[in-house]
Amino acid sequence: MLTKRKQNLSLLLCVLPALLVYCVFKLYPAVSGVYYAMTDWNGISKTSSFVGLANFAEVFGDANYWRSMGFTLKYVLVMVVVANVAALALAVAIESRRRAKGLYRTLFFMPNMISMVIGGYMWMFIFTKVLYYLADNWGMVFLDHSWIGDPQYAFIAIIIVAAWGAIGYLMIIFMAALQGVSPQLKEAAYLDGANAWQTFWRVTFPMISHALTICIFWTLNSAFQVFDVVFVLTGGGPGRATQSVALNIYEEAFKGNVRFGYATAKSTVLFLIVLAVTMVQLRLMKGREQEL
Amino acid sequence: MKKKRLLADWLVYAALTLAALFTLFPLLMALMNSFKTNGELLTDVMSWPQTFNFDNYVRTLDKMHYLRSLGNTLLLTVTSVTLIVLFSALAGWRLCRTKTRFSSALFSLFVFSMLIPFSSIMIPLYRVVLALKVKNSLIGFSFVYAGLGVSMAIFLYHGFVKGIPLELEEAAAIDGCNMRHTFFSIVMPMLSPITATIVITNALWVWNDFLLPLIVISKSEKYTLLLSTNTLFGQYSSDWTAILSSLILAAIPVIIFYAFFQRRILEGIADGAVKG
Repeated sequence: MLTKRKQNLSLLLCVLPALLVYCVFKLYPAVSGVYYAMTDWNGISKTSSFVGLANFAEVFGDANYWRSMGFTLKYVLVMVVVANVAALALAVAIESRRRAKGLYRTLFFMPNMISMVIGGYMWMFIFTKVLYYLADNWGMVFLDHSWIGDPQYAFIAIIIVAAWGAIGYLMIIFMAALQGVSPQLKEAAYLDGANAWQTFWRVTFPMISHALTICIFWTLNSAFQVFDVVFVLTGGGPGRATQSVALNIYEEAFKGNVRFGYATAKSTVLFLIVLAVTMVQLRLMKGREQEL
Repeated sequence: MKKKRLLADWLVYAALTLAALFTLFPLLMALMNSFKTNGELLTDVMSWPQTFNFDNYVRTLDKMHYLRSLGNTLLLTVTSVTLIVLFSALAGWRLCRTKTRFSSALFSLFVFSMLIPFSSIMIPLYRVVLALKVKNSLIGFSFVYAGLGVSMAIFLYHGFVKGIPLELEEAAAIDGCNMRHTFFSIVMPMLSPITATIVITNALWVWNDFLLPLIVISKSEKYTLLLSTNTLFGQYSSDWTAILSSLILAAIPVIIFYAFFQRRILEGIADGAVKG
């Protein structure tokens, strides 16, 4: 057998390429970000100086930042519920079919293949042209709203497009879990006189709780960072009514102000919030899974 | 009882079909209206196009520099995915096979950062990109994707290698196989199921990523498909026939890819999500 040292040496050699790119493009930015968040570094002057916690103090008083955080929290909450409920319903409906299973699955997953930028612009056409047309000519008056210009409807529009793009992915995860539930268990419940509704909630649902954990974790994580959909559909408007935190950070850094140091402080706060929320979620749901 | 069942059955099919129509609606509307003239589109968005003329497509092919953007995106995706697979397979395999404290320390170093959201590192990352002068270099840029993607891929490879018996590698070593040979002709083939998963998830990620190219690429000659589409939308915001045809053009490559590898893609997505 090789000695420990030799083993470690050959290991290091094999890991080196991965370690190098990882350190340069992920680890270093993450670590140095903590330092930059405490400087007045910007995109214009060559030098920057240490300002301590001044940026963080400013973040806490930044009304626009917290407004975008408020929007993001509302978005996260609605997405977690809407996307997961819809995806689970679709997964259960498809799994209960004997025919056309593959066809439905293929169709529902289609939006996930396309970037949200492309999907977002397609929906933009629907919201700004098609719905008006349907309202005026087909008598669908309930569609007659300023879908992009009115803050309330703009939020709904964003949710529709984001859910449209996310449901297929979640559905695939739920379907994989549903296929893992043994038919004998369901049959046993049926023989014991349980109806379909009871069988689902008492037998099937507890068996797929790990999939629910994964799906909620994924939705939380991606929803907190929402950028593409909002950027494409409303650009954060009208005013700043639909500005997400990621968009707020992007604009602080790359549009107008180019205050990189300050924007990094904002992104550090976002990271801490996401970390806290996902930790709580994982602890709660993992604990639940183990009880079963 | 039986009648009730049948009715419920039809209701579920009807609901599914309705949901499918909703899913396809924006795609079909974009496709249908992309063949119209601007005047036709303005008078009736719901009508069938009078003639299927490809004028809009010819126009946008040129305007969005379609072939160039497509080539750029393809190059970026292929190099990024190749780097991720090579680096991570090699690292994940050795990390799993080496049972030392150093090895587990390295593994945790890779895994711990998986929770850091991209928006939290994008600004310092931008600085690194500037300092290394890889701004506007597609090959250099693919190393950035490799850096961001290896954690997850190493995690997946590491988990997969655990389930492969060691005997084959030992036999190869006894036969005098060196490590490079063992890796490429014995280990890599055995890893192919998980490699398929990693290739699919990462290819879709890189291909559809928007924020990172938006920050890093500023030269229009290096634009990806999404950047070109976005620019076109900014320039011709009221010329819907131009925009819709460009959207269809931008969507076509992935749709074709999906049509061919549908089963593998869906399997890969489920696999990657559950294991990650």
